[in-house]
Amino acid sequence: MFNNNLKVGWRNLKRQPFLTFLNTFGLAIGMAGGLLISLFIYDEFSFDQMFPDADRIHRINVDIKFGGQDGEYAVVASPLAEIVLDYSQVEMTTRFRTQGSMLIKKPDAALNVKELQTTFVDSSFFEMFGLELLEGDTKTALRNPNSLILTKTAAEKHFKINEAVGQNMTLNNSEAYIVTGVIDDLPENSFLRNHSVFMAMSGYEDSRSTEWGSNNYNTFIKLTPTADIESFQEPLQAIFSKYLVPYAQRFMPGLTEEAFKASGNYVNYSTMPLTDIHLHSSRIADISPNSNIQNVYILSFIAFFLILLASVNFMNLSTAHSLKRAKEVGIRKTLGSNKFSLIKQFLTEAGLISFLSLLLALVVAFLAMPFFNELSGKELSIPFFNPIFWLLLVSVAAVLGLFSGSYPAFFMSKFAPVKTLKGGGQSSVGGGGIRNMLVVFQFAISVFLIVSTLVVFQQLNYIQSKDLGFTKEQILIVDDVYGAGNQVQTFKQKVQQLALVKSASLSSFLPTPSSRSDDGYKIQGVNEQDNNLQMQSWRVDHDYVSTLNFEIIEGRDFDQKYGTDTSSIILNESAIAVMEKSAKEALGMKVVRNFQNEEEEVLTVIGVVKNFHYESLKDDIGALSLSLGDGAAKMSVKLNGGNLSNTISSIEKAWNEVAPGQPFNYYFMDDSFNETYQAEERLGRIFIIFTFLSILIACLGLFGLAAFNAEKRTKEIGIRKVLGASVTQITYGLSVDFLKLVGIAIFIALPLGWYAMNSWLEDFSYRIEIPWWTYVLAAFLAVMISIITVSFQSIKAAIVNPIDSLKTE
Amino acid sequence: MIIRTKNLNKVYRTDEVQTTALNDLSIEINQGEFVSIMGPSGCGKSTLMNILGMIDSPSSGEYFFMENEVGGLSERKRSDVRKNNLGFVFQSFNLIDELTVFENVELPMMYTKVPSAERKKRTEALLEEMNMMHRRNHFPQQLSGGQQQRVAVARAIVNNPKLILADEPTGNLDSANGDDVMKILADLNSKGTTIVMVTHSQYCAEFGNRIIRLLDGQVVTENVVRQFL
Repeated sequence: MFNNNLKVGWRNLKRQPFLTFLNTFGLAIGMAGGLLISLFIYDEFSFDQMFPDADRIHRINVDIKFGGQDGEYAVVASPLAEIVLDYSQVEMTTRFRTQGSMLIKKPDAALNVKELQTTFVDSSFFEMFGLELLEGDTKTALRNPNSLILTKTAAEKHFKINEAVGQNMTLNNSEAYIVTGVIDDLPENSFLRNHSVFMAMSGYEDSRSTEWGSNNYNTFIKLTPTADIESFQEPLQAIFSKYLVPYAQRFMPGLTEEAFKASGNYVNYSTMPLTDIHLHSSRIADISPNSNIQNVYILSFIAFFLILLASVNFMNLSTAHSLKRAKEVGIRKTLGSNKFSLIKQFLTEAGLISFLSLLLALVVAFLAMPFFNELSGKELSIPFFNPIFWLLLVSVAAVLGLFSGSYPAFFMSKFAPVKTLKGGGQSSVGGGGIRNMLVVFQFAISVFLIVSTLVVFQQLNYIQSKDLGFTKEQILIVDDVYGAGNQVQTFKQKVQQLALVKSASLSSFLPTPSSRSDDGYKIQGVNEQDNNLQMQSWRVDHDYVSTLNFEIIEGRDFDQKYGTDTSSIILNESAIAVMEKSAKEALGMKVVRNFQNEEEEVLTVIGVVKNFHYESLKDDIGALSLSLGDGAAKMSVKLNGGNLSNTISSIEKAWNEVAPGQPFNYYFMDDSFNETYQAEERLGRIFIIFTFLSILIACLGLFGLAAFNAEKRTKEIGIRKVLGASVTQITYGLSVDFLKLVGIAIFIALPLGWYAMNSWLEDFSYRIEIPWWTYVLAAFLAVMISIITVSFQSIKAAIVNPIDSLKTE
Repeated sequence: MIIRTKNLNKVYRTDEVQTTALNDLSIEINQGEFVSIMGPSGCGKSTLMNILGMIDSPSSGEYFFMENEVGGLSERKRSDVRKNNLGFVFQSFNLIDELTVFENVELPMMYTKVPSAERKKRTEALLEEMNMMHRRNHFPQQLSGGQQQRVAVARAIVNNPKLILADEPTGNLDSANGDDVMKILADLNSKGTTIVMVTHSQYCAEFGNRIIRLLDGQVVTENVVRQFL
């Protein structure tokens, strides 16, 4: 019987190519979209699962509010790891102190190689994460100061893997290291992706510090196999009273825990499972940039609805066209078929379409994969050789076939033979109400997605064109200028002399989110507990403010004329707001930097700079200070326009004169700025594509229904025309019912879109208010798209010669 | 007795109108009979056939098929009785367009779970008998009306039904083809199959051995046909 069902199903598909095309194509697009998104989501959830004891590994976080500032950190103070190691729940701890990019070479090599992500790490690293060395001994590899291990790829840039151990390396042209091991490249879906150089923590002096004031260490613990993380929370919290309070009392005599908390301050430690970090952590100083679970939800939502839309299409088209099958149902029933075997028959057909669509979907997904990867920033591929993938795929296709086929099957198997056999067919099919509901549902989703897309793009546009408080255009950044060593000032002078260069400035920090440095500050002479501020300390040079075009709203910029400026400081508006001073009051004020340790220095406020955005626009602008200092990593060059490539090659020439053999790396500041919003931009592009797909699927369905409707009413149209109706009247008559449905869909979707997108925007500190025309435009687009879809069929039916349409009876 | 009805009523209701299709109709048909049912349009012929064929149920009254009351059976039970005992021949043939000649004839045996080899044997034998073997792989649309009705008849009898219900079997056929079909039916009857046929044609009606005339859902006359064969 199954073979018979299959055979009849196949013939039916062949006999109605238009319907088969609409169904298969729609389902295939839905499935392909669903498949791509599922692979994406699977990848997102696979992060850090590869580490053998991943379920026992947790990271310690801290939330701090103190001195008018608050922050959520992925890093804690250096001594914490050693303290929790004594807790019975903890088997081992490992700290990372990330260093960003470094230049690395063999001592005698002429050229440096730049490694993007480097870190100091404790020697427990291998045991913690269950890592093996390709070369070297895990027990000793990270024990001694100045030893480092390289990933396979990083090592191969300098020597053969089996010759690596024991080789000398020079980091940043100054520090001497010995290679003690080679590790396999770390997986793309791990928090250590892109990290290629791991240096022994024992050589990093600060790691032995007993200071609780600065939080710089990503600290991981591995629980013992029997411990549970809940029992660890209380002793973890106790660290505050036991260590931080006595530490703070050293420079804030009389501080009590109660008073600290009473004034709204807190230091809260918490833990986060390693495998949660990728989707749930958006803390300051995460080791690698993370994704956002919200985006995963949004994508899952889109994938689910895409497939649902396609499935709804199938139901709609199948029931609409069931008129043609009514006679067959009648005959089969008369011959003794019961309802159940008819349902099986129709479900077999649905399954057949589902599997055909699956094949097509695989082809589509395969072809679309490179574009999707570019869109999502991942390197996904279809796991063709994974049996579980196929099993899942086939199950999904079967379930989808069952689901899509269920309503048409039950619907059609109910046809009464008495009606369907009379004159060879049944005069009308029911189910119109449900079909209308499904059309409304489809268009509601489409309208919702149109609204979302419009809002995402408006917000992105707002971010990109917002006045950031500085000029990011025409600024060239030369990276890694420490490669020039003590020649860096010479390089700056050479660049400043170039005709097309307006100015140049050396600094370690730029107003684009990257590594940060903060210090503790207080106002000199005030001894209140709250007189304490953790803020960004950017060491810059005299040309920084003018090169980036910051606005000084009170006081003055650093000036070569004043020798005293080495102990001057410029604050931003947020900083003086935390200090509760006006810009005028702030001028001349003395502040103490690093008041809690030996590096204490007193600085005089000489200016207040207008707030500028240096973090993502998702965040508020935090307190920040500028002071003069050395050790610059980047040179910002403000260009005058003119011939760009000439200017760049002149700068490169100057670089090669002062730093022969060092890599010349540069980028434009506005590019780097745009990267900050890559996640949002990706989301925007994904939205646009999947909105388009869902509208396409909805239109396929509407198109099919309109065709069916026109066909069903062929005779009526003929009679109307004979009686004198015009093409316009008939087209209107055929289209207006569909447009009413689209109208209802708009009515449902707009409030949902309004609600959802306002929730999304809440994530941004700086956001648009959704303008009213967004909704009007979305509604207009939906109506236009449906008019075009429906009227094509309606006009086609309306212009047929009535003689022909009446003959069909 | 194969069919006995007692006070069968069938009433169709719409919002405004109530139509009585069958009105206290009682008939009896014996095994081996060939009964023709005649009457003007709207007299209830088709309704009666649908009820006798168990694809419709009466509003009231009783219907005994082989001495079992079947009027009140569930759809599933009726479907069982139908597939094991009845064969249908329709005016509009009602072959399934997606199935070949062979498959159309074979279909009822699939519902009665006849093994595949047996199905093949019986289908081929019947097609041979109907002189349709050369068309076994054609689809219905590729056949003439007469050929389609021969296939339909083959399909109706493939399960050796006790009763054949024929609803104007010659209505869509020319007289030569009509004659062929009537001869097949008469032949089947002579081998013992009971036949109930609705027809407008006196000529066709007289192939049977009894004519029941209906008017307004009631039996008006019953006469025995003079046997001339």
